[in-house]
Amino acid sequence: MAGWRHRLGVNYQLWRANGALADYYESLRPILQREHLLHVPLVAIDLEMTGLNAQIDQIISVGLLPIEQQRLQLSGAVHQLVSINGSVGQSATIHGIVDRQLQQDVMSQSEMLLWLLQQTQGKLLIFHHGMLDIAFLSKLCMQVFQRPLHLPIVDTMQLEQRRLLRDRHVIEHGSLRLAACRKRYHLPAYSAHNALMDATACGELFLAQTAFAGWETQPLDDYLFWF
Amino acid sequence: MSMDETELLPIRNFLAEIAPFNELSADLLVLCCRRISIGYYSKASKAVPLSSDNPMLYIVRSGAFEVRDADDELVDRLGEGDYFGFPSLLSGESVSNRVLILEDGLVYHLAPAEFDQLRLQCRSFDRFFNRAYAKRLRHERRYRNRETVTTNRISSLINTSLLSVDHRETVIEATRAMRSHHVSSALVLDNGKLCGILTDRDLRNRVLAEGLAGDVPVHQAMTPSPVTIEAKSLVFEAMLLMSEFNIHHLPVIDDGIPIGMVTSTDIIRSQSSQPILLIREIERQQDLPSLIAVSKQIPELLQSLISADARAEEIGRILTSVTDALTRRLIVLNQALLGEAPMAFCWLAFGSQGRQDQVACSDQDNGLLLAEQPDEQAKGYFEALAKGVCSGLNDCGYVFCPGDIMAQNPQWMMSLTQWQQKFAHWVDSPEPKALMHASIFFDMRAVYGPANLFDALQDEVLERTKDNDIFLAALTGNATSESPPLGFFRKFVLERDGSELKGIDLKHRGSALINDIARVYALSAGIKEVNTAKRIKRVIDAGVLNRKDGLNLADALEFIGHMRLANQGQQFEQRRPLSNYLKPQDLSSLMRHQLRDAFKVVHDSQSAIRLKFMRSF
Repeated sequence: MAGWRHRLGVNYQLWRANGALADYYESLRPILQREHLLHVPLVAIDLEMTGLNAQIDQIISVGLLPIEQQRLQLSGAVHQLVSINGSVGQSATIHGIVDRQLQQDVMSQSEMLLWLLQQTQGKLLIFHHGMLDIAFLSKLCMQVFQRPLHLPIVDTMQLEQRRLLRDRHVIEHGSLRLAACRKRYHLPAYSAHNALMDATACGELFLAQTAFAGWETQPLDDYLFWF
Repeated sequence: MSMDETELLPIRNFLAEIAPFNELSADLLVLCCRRISIGYYSKASKAVPLSSDNPMLYIVRSGAFEVRDADDELVDRLGEGDYFGFPSLLSGESVSNRVLILEDGLVYHLAPAEFDQLRLQCRSFDRFFNRAYAKRLRHERRYRNRETVTTNRISSLINTSLLSVDHRETVIEATRAMRSHHVSSALVLDNGKLCGILTDRDLRNRVLAEGLAGDVPVHQAMTPSPVTIEAKSLVFEAMLLMSEFNIHHLPVIDDGIPIGMVTSTDIIRSQSSQPILLIREIERQQDLPSLIAVSKQIPELLQSLISADARAEEIGRILTSVTDALTRRLIVLNQALLGEAPMAFCWLAFGSQGRQDQVACSDQDNGLLLAEQPDEQAKGYFEALAKGVCSGLNDCGYVFCPGDIMAQNPQWMMSLTQWQQKFAHWVDSPEPKALMHASIFFDMRAVYGPANLFDALQDEVLERTKDNDIFLAALTGNATSESPPLGFFRKFVLERDGSELKGIDLKHRGSALINDIARVYALSAGIKEVNTAKRIKRVIDAGVLNRKDGLNLADALEFIGHMRLANQGQQFEQRRPLSNYLKPQDLSSLMRHQLRDAFKVVHDSQSAIRLKFMRSF
């Protein structure tokens, strides 16, 4: 069973929250009752933003990829574009998204939040460097529910940092980046850069980080980080 | 929610580059991408859990794997872009093989429903896996029943002097071209595309017998839309097609382009390149010119053995048995001219022929062992014999030894007593440099002559070398003076595309080092065997070398030998000169992994003999 800290934290958030956000917290409670990684519904996620400042910048796309039976299921892959106020600007060259593309099949920022809470209900999120993404989502939550977002997640960057420190490696600058982490597990280098591909890259890294033993033997608590 | 085809691009690009997914239409490929599940297998879990209830196609994205059958026999080694799991998908039978994880890796999975859908919608996809399955079955039977003809590939037979004519040319023009090229058939092209073939039979049946003149255009006389065969097909399949359609000519197609013609004569000739037939042919020849003509088949034999994927050790033994037969035949033919020998003698083979590991472009290393000290007349006889045999071998493609270690050199034509003294000198007062040059003499075998004469020499030599600490230490020093190119791999990782790298010398820094190690062990234990694989086996049996290390060394010998031959097979196909250098860019990551392991074994074995034989010096 996940540690009391996480269960208590979620209960506290549930008590303060309302509407769809409350439903979402409620759906996390059964997951935290589980002992081991196996049978925990997981989904790898990545957000692309116009910049790194949650106060100014905006989310432009979300990639989701579920993990079942210790495998990433591409049949469940989703890539959602989000409309923004103003132009995509500079970051368009990084993400390959141009303004024109944003016009079709797009959701507004708040629509996206509700959609995301619904899509990932009852699932544990896996991020790489989740702090940044959670900050953006939390800001949206403030706007929609007048509450920040606090929840337990899996963070492949935190896992990697913990592993490197445990093995007494010096953590060099840049060595915790997604691509650098993947290289250590002989995972292929992906050149394309979008939210779905990065979610895939993050999901694969998580599979690699947990492949040393069967998931039925790995305590869930070892993988949870509170944000 | 959107899902356009640019998403998951890296995964789609990967699939689009590997056969047979590269044959799928863009739509099918996108569909296929969306049906994949991705898993990661760690070495820590040893084997991929395969379940008969849940068969899958496994596509290796990274890492290295090994397929072993129920008897733990190696079936296949897999790396990026390879597949496993398809035999059970195709046959519906339960899984009998195990897939071991050599290096952590990412694997894509495709469920049976999707696999079947792709097979149904794309014929070449279906054909690819059916062939792979057939190959797997053949490979598994390899150890039971090996037949060169059935596994040989068409590409090894293609006639290089390909003649093609335009379909508008007249029959007269076409037949003149056929005459000047000495061929019985020609490809007929329409705008560079194959539209028919013209054979002697067509000229007879469709021109002469019809009372037509020679000025009719070729397209009226040709056999239109002929049956063709893919370059990658097996000779066996060509034989089936020929008998099925009662034809003697098959145009060979590679990627839709005609690249050659295979005739039934080519196939019959390829069968005659089988070793037994070749050896029989050698034994039938009555003079040197016809022996030279027959020996022209030896490179072809080597290539057919390589493309049949025979074991390196076996290829060495087969090629050496051909050299032995040729040597014996030359001795017999020369004796027919010179008369009976004045005394008993043995023809000695040293080095690679002695060890039975000859490959392409071997030179000769031989000597004569005489029963007694020869008088002037006997000396004259043996000189003439040795000259005749050595120059005959040279004419047949076994060039004169650059170091002059040959029977025709008076220095290496000696009586039993002289040979014994020579070895005694090397063994009892070993000088590193002299010993370095002498090491090939310790790999000796009698190709011709009475066994008891040869035994008298070898037994005495082994008596001297056995447990001879000083000699063995000197021999070990030589054997370990050169190291396997392990540093190369470190460098290689950094300079992946470095074109300045010359390559790995698989002979001198690979096979030769293992030969040296096996020689030290064998001489230390007085073992008569000279073939390296057999030496290793015997020293394991004798308890001189522990079983695990011995088997590892034997595996490394076979792997490096195999790489060397496969590399030369490739050089031959690309019409490059044959060499022992393996270019780094020709290596897949899996091969690099295995080769590094093999060199590591050589390195460890060198340390082991240094510890065992040089400790007290």
